[in-house]
Amino acid sequence: MASYPIPFRRLSTVTCSFLTLGLLSGRAESPSASATFHREIEPLLQNYCYDCHGDGAKKGKVSFDTFASDKDVFANPSLWLTALKNVRAGLMPPPDDTDPAARPTAEEVKKLENWIKFDAFGIDPANPDPGRVTVRRLNRAEYRNTIRDLMGVDFASDVEFPPDDTGHGFDNLGEVLTVSPLLLEKYLQAAEEIVDKAVPRISRVPIKRVIAARDFKREERPVRVVDGAEKAAEPAAATDVPTEQRQAARLDLNVRRGGKSSYTFNITQAGTYKLSFEASVRSTFDFDTGRANAIVYVDGIEKQRQEVVWGGKTIRFDSEQTWSEGSHLLSFEVEPLNPEEPNPIAPQRPVEVALPTAPAVAAAEAVVVAGAAPAPANTAVPAPAGRRGAAGRGGAAPRPVSRSTDLRITSAELSGPMDPKQWVPPENYRRFFAEDAPSDPKALDAFADKVIRDFATKAFRRPVDDAKVTQLVAVARGVYTQPNKKFEDGIARAFMGVLASPRFLFRVEEPAAAEAKMAFAAVDEYALASRLSYFVWSSMPDEELFRLAERGELRKQLSQQFARMLKDSKSQAFVRNFPGQWLQARDIETVPINARAVLGQGNLRGNTSTPQDLNAALRRMMRSETEMFFEHVLREDRSLLEFIDSDYAFLNARLATHYGVTGVTGEEIRKVMLPPDSPRGGMLTQGTILAVTSNPTRTSPVKRGLFVLENFLGTPPPPPPPDIPALEESQKATDGRELTLREALAAHRENALCASCHARMDPLGFALENFNAMGNWRDLDAKQPIDPAGKLATGEPFANISELKKVLTHERHLDYYRCITEKMLIYALGRSLDYYDIHTVDQIVARLEQDGGKFSTLLDGVINSVPFQKQRNLRVGPGATADASEAPASAVAQVTVH
Amino acid sequence: MKNRPTADFQTARRQRELSVSRRQFLRGLGVCMALPIFENSVGPVLRAATSPVGPATTSTGAPLRMAYVYVPNGVHQEYWWPTGEGSAFELARTMQPLAGLKNQFQVIGGLDHKNAAPGNDGAGDHARANATFLTGARARKTDSVDIQVGVSVDQLAAEQVGHATRFASLELSCDSVRKSGSCDSGYSCAYQYNLSWRSAATPMSPEPNPRLVFERLFGAGAPGERQKNFEQRQATQKSLLDLVLDDTRSLQRQLGAKDRDKLDEYLTGVRTIEQRIQRAESFGKLPVPGAEAPSGIPESFGEHMDIMFDLLAMAFQTDSTRVATLLLANDGSNRSFSEIGIPEGHHYCSHHRNSPELVGKIGEIDLHYMKHFSRFLTKLDQTKDVDGNSVLHNSMIVYGSGNADGNRHTHDNLPVILAGAGGGTLTPGRFAKFDSQPMSNLFLSLNDRMGVKGLDRIGDSSGRLKGV
Repeated sequence: MASYPIPFRRLSTVTCSFLTLGLLSGRAESPSASATFHREIEPLLQNYCYDCHGDGAKKGKVSFDTFASDKDVFANPSLWLTALKNVRAGLMPPPDDTDPAARPTAEEVKKLENWIKFDAFGIDPANPDPGRVTVRRLNRAEYRNTIRDLMGVDFASDVEFPPDDTGHGFDNLGEVLTVSPLLLEKYLQAAEEIVDKAVPRISRVPIKRVIAARDFKREERPVRVVDGAEKAAEPAAATDVPTEQRQAARLDLNVRRGGKSSYTFNITQAGTYKLSFEASVRSTFDFDTGRANAIVYVDGIEKQRQEVVWGGKTIRFDSEQTWSEGSHLLSFEVEPLNPEEPNPIAPQRPVEVALPTAPAVAAAEAVVVAGAAPAPANTAVPAPAGRRGAAGRGGAAPRPVSRSTDLRITSAELSGPMDPKQWVPPENYRRFFAEDAPSDPKALDAFADKVIRDFATKAFRRPVDDAKVTQLVAVARGVYTQPNKKFEDGIARAFMGVLASPRFLFRVEEPAAAEAKMAFAAVDEYALASRLSYFVWSSMPDEELFRLAERGELRKQLSQQFARMLKDSKSQAFVRNFPGQWLQARDIETVPINARAVLGQGNLRGNTSTPQDLNAALRRMMRSETEMFFEHVLREDRSLLEFIDSDYAFLNARLATHYGVTGVTGEEIRKVMLPPDSPRGGMLTQGTILAVTSNPTRTSPVKRGLFVLENFLGTPPPPPPPDIPALEESQKATDGRELTLREALAAHRENALCASCHARMDPLGFALENFNAMGNWRDLDAKQPIDPAGKLATGEPFANISELKKVLTHERHLDYYRCITEKMLIYALGRSLDYYDIHTVDQIVARLEQDGGKFSTLLDGVINSVPFQKQRNLRVGPGATADASEAPASAVAQVTVH
Repeated sequence: MKNRPTADFQTARRQRELSVSRRQFLRGLGVCMALPIFENSVGPVLRAATSPVGPATTSTGAPLRMAYVYVPNGVHQEYWWPTGEGSAFELARTMQPLAGLKNQFQVIGGLDHKNAAPGNDGAGDHARANATFLTGARARKTDSVDIQVGVSVDQLAAEQVGHATRFASLELSCDSVRKSGSCDSGYSCAYQYNLSWRSAATPMSPEPNPRLVFERLFGAGAPGERQKNFEQRQATQKSLLDLVLDDTRSLQRQLGAKDRDKLDEYLTGVRTIEQRIQRAESFGKLPVPGAEAPSGIPESFGEHMDIMFDLLAMAFQTDSTRVATLLLANDGSNRSFSEIGIPEGHHYCSHHRNSPELVGKIGEIDLHYMKHFSRFLTKLDQTKDVDGNSVLHNSMIVYGSGNADGNRHTHDNLPVILAGAGGGTLTPGRFAKFDSQPMSNLFLSLNDRMGVKGLDRIGDSSGRLKGV
C-alpha cells in the first residue's frame, strides 16, 4: 500500500490494501479519452460527488474539479482506483443519504467503472498488462516440499530456516522474500545435509524388509479381566477412546493377559538372512507386580526366552537364518507368570482397554523398502488419564492409579540374502542413478554428465545449459577420480552445488520462444508448470508436468492437468497454506488465549489450566476443522459463499461440545448437518477465526470487524489518522461504573475522526460477540446481555450473526467474490496486485456471479488469467511500456510521499 | 589513536599479537565459563596494548563489544525514569533488578527517534519503532513492494570491524513464531521482525533457535567432533561457493532490474560467507564453550530469553563476535505473560489508558524483561576478560525500545540504558539527561568507539552524542 497521497488516504473510505500502484504516469491520455471524460464522466461527478468533492468542497482533500489539465486527470490512477472501490462497495456516495436521486443508477456506475478501467487506467482488454513478478525465492514450506519431491527426504525447514517475511498476509511474495547472509549460510548447510541423507554412496545392499508392528498377526488369549468375567471385546471405534490408546490396545501384549504375535515371511530366494527383532517394555508410572516370559520363535522353534518385569529393558533378538524358499514364521509370545495375582500395592483394577477380537490385518506381504526406517511405534507412552496435572500437586485428591506392563514390537527387519550377487541398489539409488555406473573412465564421465543433467534439469525446473553441466561434471570428476572416493561421492558433491544454486532456490521464468519479441509474452511451458505446481502443491512440477512442458503440450491440457493436480494428495499443501494465511488459520496453534481469564475464572499464578482450556489438542482440531471445511468446498466444488454460511460444519465430539452442538460422538472430525437455528456454519463462527481475532483474555470486536472487512469484504478501512486523539483515560459512565465494551466503542464513534471507520468495523465485530475468545457461545459478557444487532456501513440491518451471514451472502456477495478473488490471485501470482489487475479480477467475479460462486470457477479463472499465463517481457528494449515497473524507484517514491 | 599505520598492516599485526592470548583464552574456556582463567594471558595482551590498537579494541588490548537489546512496546514512563541526575540518581521501580550493578550502566534520557513518529505516514507506530530503532531511518510504508529503511548501526560497525572476529555480527531473536495476516497498518512484516539491516532493503534475519545459534558459533555434534565437523563443513561450503558464484552471475545477466536486486542479496551473502570462512581459517580452532549445546526453543519465554542472553555472553566471551543484536520480541508483540500471572497480551496492557489494573500489569511486564536483562549483565560482570577487567567493562550494551510510551505511541525521550564502560571510554553509574537529540547520535558515538571510520551520519543523526 505504498501509493496513496496521505492526506487523501486519511479520509478515504476504502483503501485498497493489496493494490500497489507501480508507476503512476499518465496512461491513456488520448483525445478521445479526454473527450469522454468531459462528455460522460464530469456530469456524473458533478451530480453525485461535487457536494463534497467539488465546487470548492474538498472533503478528505479530494476534489474532482481541480485538475490542472486534461493530462492531470489521467496522471493519478490512485485517485480513480479509490473512487472505483468506494463506489463499488456502496460507500460513496455516502449510503446515509436516503434521497434516491442522490445515488447513481446502475448504468451510471457501469459507465464510471468502464471509463476508469479502460480510459483512466488505459487497460487494453485485448492485451492487458500481466504485471511483473519479482523472481521468487522458495519459502520454507516450498523448500521442504520441493526437497521431498526432488530428493525423497524430509527436511525440517521450519526448524532449520528463519521465518519468511510476509506481505499482504502471504509468505510467498517475491518482493518480500529476501536472502540474508544467514539464510544463505543455512542453504549451503542444508544442501550438504540433504544430499548426505538422500544420495546413497554405495550401489548395492542386501534387500531389507521392515515389518511394522501392525503387520504382525495377533493370536489372542482369552481376555482375563480382574473380576474374573470373560469380557466380550467390543470394537473401540465407536467410543471416544483416543486413537493412541486404541492403537496401543491393538499392538501391546500385556504381561498379565499374555498373547502371541506372528509374522510370515515369504522367501523367494534361498540363502542366509539376518533377522532382527525388537520389543520395548512399556510400563505405567505406578509399579506393577506383573511378570512374564517374552519368547521369540522362528519357524515354531523357541530361540530366546527372557523374563520381563515392570520397567524392564527392551527385548532384542538378532540372528542369522539359513532359509529355503517358502514361508518362514517369526513369532513373539508373552507368557504371563502371575496372571491372576492381585496387585498388592493397589487394589484398584488396572485400566482395561477393550481389545479387538480378531486380528484385523491379515499377514501382509513384506514390503521391500531397503533402508527405510519407519518407526511409528516408538512414540512416547501416552500418560494414563488422570496422571497429568495431578502428580506432584501437594497430594490434594487421591489420584487415579493405573498399573500395567506391556510389550510392544518396535521393529522387525529381515536383510538378505547376504550373497552380494543377490544385492540390489539401495533405496533412493534409482531416483538419481538410472542404471549402474560403467567402469570405463570415458563412459563414466558420460554417465556423470547424464546423471547430473537429469538432476539439475529437475532441480532447476527447466533445461540446464551445457556449460553448467560441464562445470558440475568437472566438480564431480574432481572428487570421484580421487583414490578413495566413489563415483557416487563425486555426484553427491555436484548435487550439493545444484541445491545451493540460485537457479534452484529462485524460480526463474522465461517467456515462450514464440512470443519472445512481444512486450507481454506468455511464460514458457516450464514456467507455467512451476506456476501451477507451486500454486497447488507448494512444490516442484512432477514428471508428467515436466514431460508435457518438454513437448510444449501443457498449455493445451491445462484444465485436465489442473484437475489431476487437485486430485493428487500433494494438493493438501494448498488446503493448508491458503486458508492458513487468508484466514490466519495457522495462528490457532500459537495464539495466546487464557481460558481461565476468558471464562471469568480468575487467574491463579502458575496454574492456568482448566478443563475447558484451549489446549494443543483442541487447537489442532480447530485447525483441522477449518482445513477440512475448506477442502470440502474445494473438492465438492461447492459455492464459495459457503465459507460465510453453510448448513453443515466439520465436527467431532470434542468440537461439538465446545460449540454447544449436540448429538456428535467420536473423535473423527466429519461433516455434520447443523440444526436449522444453529449460529454455526461457515468460517466466521469457527473457533480458529474467533480465537485468532481475540486478545488473550477477551474478544476484540474491532479486530474481528477489521478481519471481516479485510478478508471477506475486501474493504478495509484506512489506518487510523496520525493525529488521532489518544484515549488517555479509561472511560467511566456518569454513574462511575466501567463502560461496557459496546458503550466505550459507542463513545469512540461519537468522535467524527473515528466514526467513519469504526462505524464499519464495530457492527461486524459486535455481531460476533456471542462467541467468546475461544469460540464458545455466550449470552452474557461481564454479566451484561450481549446485543449482536447492528447495521453495515452500507445500510443493511441484521439482528444477529445468522442474519449477518445472510446479508453478506446476498446483498454483499459481490464484494466478497472480489475479495477472495484478489486473495487467490495474490497467492497464485506471488505478487501484490496493481491497478491494471482490476480487469482480471472483474472477469473472474463476473463468472462467479453467473454460476453461484463455484470454487472451480475461481481456480479456473485464476490459472487462465493473463497475469498467471503471461509476463512482462524484459528482453523487449528499455522504454517499452511493458517494462514500466523497472523504472527507478524514485518515480514511485515521488508518488508515495506527498 | 593518532599516527596509526594503515589499517591492513595494523590488523595483521593485532591478529598476530592477539593470537597467543586468543588461543590461551579459548583453551581456558574449556574448563568452565565462570572461572577466572585469564591471568596467564594478561602479559602478552598488555604488551600489545602499548602499541596502537585495532578496531573494536580497548586501550588495554581487549575486545570491545557492542550489543543492542530490544524490548517491545515502550515502557511505563513513571516506573522507568530515575529521579535525580548525573551520578546522584535513584532507580525507579522497573530498574530495581539492576540495583546491584548501578555503577555499571547509565540511563540516558532525551533521545528521540523522530523517524518512528507518524509524520505523513499515519498509523503503524509499532512497525516504525522496530524498523527505525537501529537505523534511525524512516521506513517506507509498503506491505511488499520496495521495502526500504536504512542500514543499521550494528551493520555499519560490522562492515568495518567484523574482520576481527569469526563472525562479523550476530543477530538473535526470541520471536520464533510469526503471526500470519498483515502486520502493522500497511507495513510489511519485515519491518517488525528485524532489527538489523544490511542494506536499506535487506534485513538480517535473526536466529530464534538456541541450538542453531550454538552450532553456528561452536560447531555441531558431540563436543569431541565439533572441530572436525566444522572443518568439513567449511571445506564443502568453500567448494560450493565457487560454483554458485558463477551461477549467480550468469543468472543476473538474464534477469531484470528488480530480480537483479534479489540476486544481489544472494551475492552479498556469498561474499559474506567467503569472508567468514577465510577468517575462520585464520583464527584456527573453534572455541569450546563450557556449556552443553541447548536443545530447541524452550517453552518458557523467560528461559528462552535467558538462553539467548547466555549465548550472546558466550559469543562475546569467546570473542566470536563483537557486534550483536537481540530482539526480545517485536514491537507490537501481544505475548501473554501467564508465567508471571498476566494472561493478557503485552500490547493490550500497554494501551492501559491509565487503568490502574493495566498499569500494574504493564509495570510487571517491564520488570520481567528487566530481570532477565539484569541476569545477563550480571553474567558479563562476573566474567573476566583478557585484560583482567570484566567483559561488561569492555562492552557497550544498549537496552531500549523504539517506542517511549506504549500507551500513547510516542517516540521522544526513548527508554535507553547503556550498560558497560566501553573499555573505559564511557562513564557509567549515572543518569545522563540530554535535551532532545536524535538517538542516532548515540549510534555515531558508539561506532566511533568501535573504531568505525568515515561515518558522518547514521539515519537522522545531527552529530555525536557528547558526554556518555
